Amino acid sequence: MIRRVIDFLDDRTGLRKLASHLLDEPIRGGARWAYVFGSALLASFTVQAVTGVALMASYAPSDKTAWASVHFIQFQQAGGWLVRGLHHFGAQAMVVMLGAHLTQVSLFGAYKKPREVTWWLGLGLMAITLAFALTGYLLPWDQKGYWATRVATNIAGTIPVVGDASQRVLQGGAEYGSLTLTRFYALHVVVLPALLVGLVVLHVALFRRHGATPPPKADLSRVDAFFPKQLFKDVVAALGVVAIVLALAIREHGAPLDAPADPSSDYPARPEWYFLALFQLLKYFHGPLEIVGTVVLPTVVGIYFFALPLLDRAPGTALRGRVKPLLPLLVVGAFAVALTLKAQADDAGDATFQKERAKADVRAKAAVKVAMHGVPPEGPLVMLARAPELRGPELFDKHCAACHTLTESGVLHGDEKERTAPKLDGWSTETWILGTMHDPDADDRFGRTAYKGEMPSMDMAPKDADSAWKPMPAEDMKAAAAFLASQGDEPNERPPATSLRRDPKRVARGKDVVTSRCTTCHLFEGEGDDGGQGLAPELSRYGSVAWLRAQIANPASKATYRENALDPARKGHMPRFDGELSAADIDLLATWVRETARR
Amino acid sequence: MQVRFVMTIEPKAEPHPSPTPNSDARPTGRRALILATAVGGCALGAAVVGPSIALALAPLHAKSGGGRWVRTVRLDQLRENEPRRVAIVADRKDAWTLERNVELGSVWLVRSGDQVRALSSVCPHLGCSVNAVTSADGKSGDGFACPCHTSAFDPVGKRKSGPSPRDLDVLETRVEDGHVVVDFRRFRIGIAEKVET
Repeated sequence: MIRRVIDFLDDRTGLRKLASHLLDEPIRGGARWAYVFGSALLASFTVQAVTGVALMASYAPSDKTAWASVHFIQFQQAGGWLVRGLHHFGAQAMVVMLGAHLTQVSLFGAYKKPREVTWWLGLGLMAITLAFALTGYLLPWDQKGYWATRVATNIAGTIPVVGDASQRVLQGGAEYGSLTLTRFYALHVVVLPALLVGLVVLHVALFRRHGATPPPKADLSRVDAFFPKQLFKDVVAALGVVAIVLALAIREHGAPLDAPADPSSDYPARPEWYFLALFQLLKYFHGPLEIVGTVVLPTVVGIYFFALPLLDRAPGTALRGRVKPLLPLLVVGAFAVALTLKAQADDAGDATFQKERAKADVRAKAAVKVAMHGVPPEGPLVMLARAPELRGPELFDKHCAACHTLTESGVLHGDEKERTAPKLDGWSTETWILGTMHDPDADDRFGRTAYKGEMPSMDMAPKDADSAWKPMPAEDMKAAAAFLASQGDEPNERPPATSLRRDPKRVARGKDVVTSRCTTCHLFEGEGDDGGQGLAPELSRYGSVAWLRAQIANPASKATYRENALDPARKGHMPRFDGELSAADIDLLATWVRETARR
Repeated sequence: MQVRFVMTIEPKAEPHPSPTPNSDARPTGRRALILATAVGGCALGAAVVGPSIALALAPLHAKSGGGRWVRTVRLDQLRENEPRRVAIVADRKDAWTLERNVELGSVWLVRSGDQVRALSSVCPHLGCSVNAVTSADGKSGDGFACPCHTSAFDPVGKRKSGPSPRDLDVLETRVEDGHVVVDFRRFRIGIAEKVET
């Protein structure tokens, strides 16, 4: 049956002849492992093509959406991280295989007459591959890609005569913007792939025309067909490359994503590792000599590569006869390795760089977390400006940390020595409320404030206690704490499984305790039993964003403390911030403080 | 994948003038090699294409919308038995974008006393937006019609004529602080059953 289908197709298309032409290519001197690098390059390009198309289906190139869509691919779409990881590490595999292929071809003398044009096409393919790497690096529009690529295009701008124009054309204008992204995208997904496929076709056609270059001592009477002997080796090599790429993608869970590109920030820009040698070169040429490092040296190396088959014209491919023409390549290679290592060593020993890198990593992590809820249409920078996680600590340091302290995952905001107001760690949690009911004048509560001595302890007898004084039963204290902590829960929050307020009976009892025992001084839902004379704050919704927002805006609005709380006689009371901070900032600050305190 | 790729990428060229390939002495060895190459090629293809297919199929895993209660107009803005189209304004999460207070769509509201009937404005046939039919005396209240394929519905959304496979989809409503609140949902198009998307 299958034979009949093939017969039918062969009759109409010449299928068998084509297959035989492709597969039965004779390899003089026999199949070799040394010949696998070209195929491995093609295999890794296939990885890039397939994963690239899959990524295109979710990526949106504009300065407002690029980062957000890559974040979506990496963190929210099923399988997205793996495809992105394959594409990221596949690109690096291509660069590595390119180096291996180039080395093998150089050592075997495969560039020599009559294979000069094959060699030149290969050099063209190398340039295209590096252009792929450069354009692809920008597409996530994150800090890393943005700043590294800006350096690259600025280098292009320093080329004499054509530099300025080519930079403008590449960038789509004098500055980086949406056009830069769309242009790089067009290059990356259409122009460069088309060029690459075209050149690969010519490269492989010429390779077939001249055949592989066997080592000088090979037994030329031995001839293998491409299939299966060479193809088997090629497939094994390709599998090896893909396995490593897959392993790296899984280990890194995709590929790194830095914080969104922020043109107003400072960022320690570094290129991808395979450009580090060029990056390092920039450090040695200053002022008018800069162009030596950016343009002259790379161009000289390029010209030498191009001229190699014209310079090396002695007959034979024995390595011994080609030491002289190959020596410059060796020197360039050694320099590239040395410069790369030096660049890495410089960074490893540079405390300022490490600090800036760590700062950038913290921001990247925060941005990734915030974006899990979605990115506003105005883009990720606006998202960050509105994010409590990022704006919160800034506002706290500026407006709150002079009096309060608060610890955010190990980082202390404020100064413990200078503190004159309560420590906010754990504020409004069950533990915090129990502690306050036990000892309101503790050093980390009201001990350093103008309110010291105002609130009595619930379970420690005051100095002037008479025989009628009784401590509040421990169960009542727990119930009150459970109820009060539940007042701070937002509708979408679930209290921790071990919390006291998970028991609704206890919470109900706590409400009785609070409304019967605490309202002598405190307000509850705007009411107190003391005719409005007390100082103690509102307890309903205590610990909620709304309560805290009201407290920050104006601590004496009766939404929290009462009007007389801002009495000038009571020095050191919390000031109001509604004149100083916008409503949005107050909301943001309240959200952050509450989250951080109750975490 | 690799096998196919190499096969198709290599163009026709003059065969190299050379001795014919030596036929393999051991046919079983050759067969094993061919098998290994084929298996390796398939593994390669699966490793490369598999994750990309998974990503392409990601929308199948995405959780569907579900309903949400959205506040619309005040009840006293609705006239008895006169259909009124109101916009549904709420937050929208679309892929990576989170938009606040945007129009998600519209519903038809028909008031009868203190009750409000909400009809999805999406025609169950192929998803066009249905209009209220205006009667000869200029009053709307004669039911609904789809401008695309002439499906017609009566004032409570029952199918009267045309290709629509079911009645207009009724949405739940309640009145809160004098406002009509609608449980906004979407349903699958083109089938006889009312199934949420």
